[in-house]
Amino acid sequence: MALLSFSIFLPTLGALLLALIPNRDGSRDGLIRQLALGISLVAFALTLALWAGFDVNGAEFQFVERTMWIDVFNVEYYIGIDGVSLMLIVLTGFLTPISLLASWGSVTKKVKEFSIFMLVLETAMIGVFSALDVFLFYVFWDAVLIPMYFLIGVWGYDRRIYASIKFLLFTMAGSVLMLVAIILLAVLHQQQTGSYSFDLLELYALQIPAGTANLCFLAFALAFSIKVPLFPLHTWLPDAHVEAPTAGSVILAGVMLKMGTYGLMRFAFPLFPEAATAWAPFIATLAVIGIVYGALVAMVQPDMKKLVAYSSVSHLGFVVLGLCALTVNGVQGAAYQMLNHGISTGGLFLIVGMLSDRRHTRLIAEFGGLKSVMPKLVAAFLIITLSSIAMPGLNGFVGEFLILMGSWRSEVLLPRFTVVAASGVILSAVYMLWMFQRVNYGEVTNPKNETLPDLSVREWCVLAPVVALAVVMGVFPNIFLQPMAPAVERMVQRMERRPAITQVIPQAEAPVAGTQAR
Amino acid sequence: MTITPGHWLALSAALFTIGLIGVLVRRNLIIIFMAIELMLNAGNIALVTFSNLHQQVSGQVFALFVIAVAAAEAAVGLGIVLALYRNKETVNIDEITVMRW
Amino acid sequence: MDNLQAIMPMLIVTLAAMATMLAEAFRRKDERMPIGGLGVIGLVGAIAAAGLLWDRNAVGFGVIQADNFSLFVTVVVAVIGLFTIMFSSEVVEREGIPSGEYYTLTLFSVVGMMMMASATDLLVIFIALEIMSIAVYVLTGIKRTDAAGTEASFKYFLLGSFSSAFFLYGIAFSYAVSGSTRLDALSTAIAQSASAPGPMVWLAMGLLLVGFAFKVSAVPFHMWTPDAYEGAPTVVTGFMSTGVKAAAVAAFLRVFLSAFEPLRGDWTQLLTWIAMLTMVVGTVVGVAQTNVKRMLAYSSIAHAGYLLAGIIAASAIGKSAVLFYLASYAVANVGAFGVIAFIATRERNTGELTDFTGLWYAKPMLAVLMAVFLLSLGGFPPMAGFIAKWYIFAAAVNEGFYTLAIVGVLTSVVSVFFYLRIVVMMFMSSNKAELEVPPFGIVGTLGLALAAIATFYLGILPTRLIDLATQSISTIF
Repeated sequence: MALLSFSIFLPTLGALLLALIPNRDGSRDGLIRQLALGISLVAFALTLALWAGFDVNGAEFQFVERTMWIDVFNVEYYIGIDGVSLMLIVLTGFLTPISLLASWGSVTKKVKEFSIFMLVLETAMIGVFSALDVFLFYVFWDAVLIPMYFLIGVWGYDRRIYASIKFLLFTMAGSVLMLVAIILLAVLHQQQTGSYSFDLLELYALQIPAGTANLCFLAFALAFSIKVPLFPLHTWLPDAHVEAPTAGSVILAGVMLKMGTYGLMRFAFPLFPEAATAWAPFIATLAVIGIVYGALVAMVQPDMKKLVAYSSVSHLGFVVLGLCALTVNGVQGAAYQMLNHGISTGGLFLIVGMLSDRRHTRLIAEFGGLKSVMPKLVAAFLIITLSSIAMPGLNGFVGEFLILMGSWRSEVLLPRFTVVAASGVILSAVYMLWMFQRVNYGEVTNPKNETLPDLSVREWCVLAPVVALAVVMGVFPNIFLQPMAPAVERMVQRMERRPAITQVIPQAEAPVAGTQAR
Repeated sequence: MTITPGHWLALSAALFTIGLIGVLVRRNLIIIFMAIELMLNAGNIALVTFSNLHQQVSGQVFALFVIAVAAAEAAVGLGIVLALYRNKETVNIDEITVMRW
Repeated sequence: MDNLQAIMPMLIVTLAAMATMLAEAFRRKDERMPIGGLGVIGLVGAIAAAGLLWDRNAVGFGVIQADNFSLFVTVVVAVIGLFTIMFSSEVVEREGIPSGEYYTLTLFSVVGMMMMASATDLLVIFIALEIMSIAVYVLTGIKRTDAAGTEASFKYFLLGSFSSAFFLYGIAFSYAVSGSTRLDALSTAIAQSASAPGPMVWLAMGLLLVGFAFKVSAVPFHMWTPDAYEGAPTVVTGFMSTGVKAAAVAAFLRVFLSAFEPLRGDWTQLLTWIAMLTMVVGTVVGVAQTNVKRMLAYSSIAHAGYLLAGIIAASAIGKSAVLFYLASYAVANVGAFGVIAFIATRERNTGELTDFTGLWYAKPMLAVLMAVFLLSLGGFPPMAGFIAKWYIFAAAVNEGFYTLAIVGVLTSVVSVFFYLRIVVMMFMSSNKAELEVPPFGIVGTLGLALAAIATFYLGILPTRLIDLATQSISTIF
């Protein structure tokens, strides 16, 4: 049964259904919102079904589907998932209905088109994570840009047009060079074996001359680094995040940025292991600079949303550092942190969105002492904040700990990387807690804050799953780590060109599954 | 002195160049148009010359076709000039500048 | 019978054109006659004839070859003509265009385009070029009272005849080299002297290149394009930008990749520079424009650059990429110009960027369709333009033209910027004033819908057309 294809395309089919409902005057807004939410929940259920049917011990790709698409160049519709992509797909399925539900209050015009764009975006994102044909991956990668562009440009805030165009052109500029590299790989395959191929697994086996591999790796890495974003290619992110509507920010931070790190993990590094290993220290340097820079800039932001945006730069620096460490711990931590960041930063954007819906401002100075006015909201806010700064017991800790351990023992990176990165942990605690204190504790300084309503039922439904997951992922990380373990193993093996092992790390061991592999 | 094909080609080239310069330099629309016709006829002369060189008829046949086509083009072109004149009351190319860069 | 079979598509359209002319002559003043319908019948008949002639390789009169390549281009041109007539039927009265002459000229121009793609003799190519061009010169200035229109028409005419003269001179020298105007004779003659081609060959090649470069609007012979496209009536611009380019590229391909094939190493270098300049100039200058028709004119210059890249990568993949690109570009471009034509009113008809403000609120479907066409031109999946661009760049990389491919992809990104400007105006401006869009009927809607469906179809399931394009190439080259 083509469960994976169905998961990818169900949201778009739902969007087509929505398109048929006439809603020129906005009278059917409620129906459309509910339908859209329903469709996204069904999509989420499908992703959970994928998880249920997934063999956590398997080292190969599962749910594989493969048909010829463009036979001139042997381009195939070839999809499949392993542990990492499965988790990212579930994350996408989880965050989409939450974002849609969160925007019930804030998006009031052209609701039908908004829902359509969100659903199409979901299709493109799940497609990115499932594609095993490099051309198909590129198609889905580019297909993400248009819905996001419209989401920011139409439903965003004041400088939305500037932010949306900047986002689009920046990302597209990076990815077109990747397109040339992809074509080059297919051509090289043809020169060596007589037939074109965009099949990722066949391209893994390609013998690429060193100079070409270097250039191709840089092209791929550039495209993904812009997406992550890696310092200094991050300048599009603060604008895009701030000007996007809440749902857009949640999806952007929660899922789209992971496309960049996923790309590094699935394509850039394994396709060109030697070039990647050579460049890893440089990329790790940029990542570490990003960690510290993002933290320092976040500290001085007066706007909450911008603060969270820069915190994204900082946190994803950790993920890239973990990847560049090229150790099982590091990569596993990076993969886990991809999920964590989706939950914690997604949650932060949700809360900031709720605050800005109430007061139509995001400036920290406008708030203060909210704890006495909205205790439930602040409680959720606290848990999410602590998750973001990696407090033990919550999800962020597991990820960052694995990354730091992985980079400390890395053969590729010097210990100084870990030291500087660890300082980033402290800095993130500083800016987050300081912001939290200014917003929530103390006296209610602004009279407008005194009458703000606490969480409504809808908002509670939005935040509760996120908060719950933050706790569960911190206390029972192995549920999420175990499916990813074989994929991580395989990537690290590939980087070291050792034959792949097919055993899985048993669950009874310490929750940090990677301690035995090295 | 015998007239060699080289002479004819030189004539053709000269006519072509004169026409070319005419198109680039002259300001009056009708004169520019005349210069284009000159270029087309230069091509005709070249065709007839080569037809003689190869001792074939097809070059001359082609030249006849070109004359017919040039006549059609002239008719259309003058019609356009007329329409332009009715709109702008000028045949000076410097004054036809509704559309800029 | 083979003779007549080969020219059947052209014959059908010619008959339709003559019928249109007669219908107009016998039309009483102010009588409403569906003259456009005659054109549609003729074009549909031509497409059917082309379909029946597929894989037959009929040769007509020794000079017209109805091989798969020319049939492919014939169908593309006929489809362009169909869309043009469908869109024109809405705007012809509104814009004050004399309808009988308009349809007749359009159909005759289509005949010229079909002939240009099918001819294997330089004389016939010249005549076809003139048929096509003269009709288009008149079409450009067909609104006689419009100052911009007649100016555009004259500028186009001037530079067009100028380049025809160069083309003719080039044909004269080819005749000198080979003793015949036939392409295969030229090919043999050049192959024999390939090691030491004389000055005649270089002159012939250079002059022919100038002639073609003008028609395709490659830099530095592109100067006529912005003015001609801006001044012409919008539906004519849509017709010109796609049909003339398709025919010219097809003839260019045939002449340079069969006759001048032995000298490929020499002209490839020059053409690569021209292609890169064309892509860059078209994109960079286009970004500065505020008139949408002018902007799309520069965008079509950039697209000519991509087409040239496909010709440069002269492999089988490159040639079929050119054909696929022509088809996808034609559909998207003619659709975009159709939308521009539909939103023009009698007062507001110059196609400024501000005309699109808030179109999404006034006519959402129209804005969505325009966005689809523009995004296809920009090269976004899942639209046809993405597959077309990828195919051309793949062909270039396959043959080792890496710089060309990189310049191509980077200019693609820059070009997105000016397509997005229009999208921003339509969707994202907060100006709440309702845009006044004149009503248009079922024919126009059908045309736009078909163009949009074609754009998505070629983007998601391009295999069928790519196969057809590949079959087209194998028959001649």
